[in-house]
Amino acid sequence: MIYVIDHKDSFTHNVVHQLSLFDKVECDDFSKINKSKLNKATTIVFSPGPGSPKDYPLSSKIYNQFKGKKRIIGICLGFQQILFSEGANIVEQSKIYHGFQSNIIVNKSSKLFKAGHRFKVGRYHSLKLQEPFKIENFDITMRCAISGAAMSFENNIDKIYGFQFHPESFLTINGKLLIKKILSA
Amino acid sequence: MRDFKQPKKLINKNYLNKINNSKKAFIVYKTIKGFDLYTDFSKKIILNNKSIIKFLRKKNNSKNKNTDLFIGFFGYEILNNLIGVKLPKQKSINFPKGIFYKPETKINLKNNLIFNSSKINKINKNFKININQNSYTKIFNRFKKKIKSGETYQIKICTKYKNKSSIDPLDFFCRLAKTNLAPEAFMIKDKNFSIISCSPENLITKKGLSISTKPIAGTLRKNNKLNKSKALKFFRNNIKETKEHNMIVDMERNDLSRICVPGSVKLKKEKTVEEYKDLYHYVSLITGKLKKNIKNLDIIRAMMPGGSVIGCPKISTLNLLNHQEKENRNIYTGSFGFIKFNGDMRFNIIIRSILNYKNISEISVASGVVIDSNAKHEFNENFIKAKALIDLYK
Repeated sequence: MIYVIDHKDSFTHNVVHQLSLFDKVECDDFSKINKSKLNKATTIVFSPGPGSPKDYPLSSKIYNQFKGKKRIIGICLGFQQILFSEGANIVEQSKIYHGFQSNIIVNKSSKLFKAGHRFKVGRYHSLKLQEPFKIENFDITMRCAISGAAMSFENNIDKIYGFQFHPESFLTINGKLLIKKILSA
Repeated sequence: MRDFKQPKKLINKNYLNKINNSKKAFIVYKTIKGFDLYTDFSKKIILNNKSIIKFLRKKNNSKNKNTDLFIGFFGYEILNNLIGVKLPKQKSINFPKGIFYKPETKINLKNNLIFNSSKINKINKNFKININQNSYTKIFNRFKKKIKSGETYQIKICTKYKNKSSIDPLDFFCRLAKTNLAPEAFMIKDKNFSIISCSPENLITKKGLSISTKPIAGTLRKNNKLNKSKALKFFRNNIKETKEHNMIVDMERNDLSRICVPGSVKLKKEKTVEEYKDLYHYVSLITGKLKKNIKNLDIIRAMMPGGSVIGCPKISTLNLLNHQEKENRNIYTGSFGFIKFNGDMRFNIIIRSILNYKNISEISVASGVVIDSNAKHEFNENFIKAKALIDLYK
């Protein structure tokens, strides 16, 4: 079962729908988390959402508790939430992408996707990962073709994955495949 | 049997004059071919935050009559409350939060509504705006900061135009239908209030387990250099309009996904142009198959208030809006429509509307703040939207 932790976003149920194609999915508001569902889940997903990771200490707590024990996936805010919980800084960016389709490129660090491969993806983020950053076992594996901003990471040791863009958006071509790969990794 | 050859407009004219003089409450709602008029109301249900749940849960036995339905509106506030968003204390005119009627008569009317008002409109041409350009710019800049910090991605600031007038709503509606025949237009005339709207936007069409929504984001005024394909080009090349539209499409897909079978939510029409009398709209159509256990209450909660007139994401944006806006939105950005006894429904988003209550006319309009919008442009955009309605007061 996949447990989606909703940060009150207007895209969370697109994520739920996409994940439902692969497994049973449960979804609750981040402030009303059900402990038994959390324990039962094989995968925990941190949803997109408004604001910044520092606004969701409960989600960071869940991350720290289950890191290495369950597969963890973060999307948009969820991507930032995981990196923030690992000590990274999440900062405002000068150019903001909301409802924007852009090209991203896979780099050599990826174990799941082919280096040099390009994707068209939908983006909805005000904030971004401040770089350089260094966290053990975490690699930035996709970047924006234009700005170079971090667009995905992989931690294949602990099975932790994140996308700054939205694989569930209609703007993302083949988003389903991206999700399938990280769910079967 | 030669009666059927009698010109329909004659029937319209007589009928509309008769009903307008009868002092009966009635409702007119645009259909594909013309209008439906509903009257002889046997029940009138005034909703509050508690009774709305009872109203939506109640099962009504269908007798297969074309009047087996409730028709009316949900105001903005009651829809917020329904999804757990509380409004702070606002300036209010104490207009009902929602009203539904049970009609006993339904009559089809042609598009060409002919009606000559015998009443005299006591009209005041001057409107007062509740937010001047200066304060609008201040609010605008505050929201832009909220976009930069990620609290909202798009937010719609509402401004209100008000004046003191006593109007004949049917006269206004017929004139509006002539200049602006909108697919979700409607009017309500009741004893102590009336509503006139040329809404273009359908929020819910539900038949059996099929449901669809048709968000509009992007409007272009017609001129003699434009045609439909040029309008499409304009929208496609306009990055700001495209981004705003994309956001709304993903949000509406999300809202349908709450209540639909996984995998059934489809973007049936992606970013197409629809042509109206004076404008082009940038429109998408999203459809889905409802899960079997979904109730009317679940559908209303998932879809309302309609996202395209709020901003995105819905909850945090509603909270930002509600703490900014000092005046109750009343009907504006609520929904008007009907729920049939068999569960089918049709609802619009109430925009481009006039609310008349206690001889005060209220016109609300809103336009969006996204990261690359400009305060002066949006303020003027609001005025252009209001002007089509304000012009009726001339």
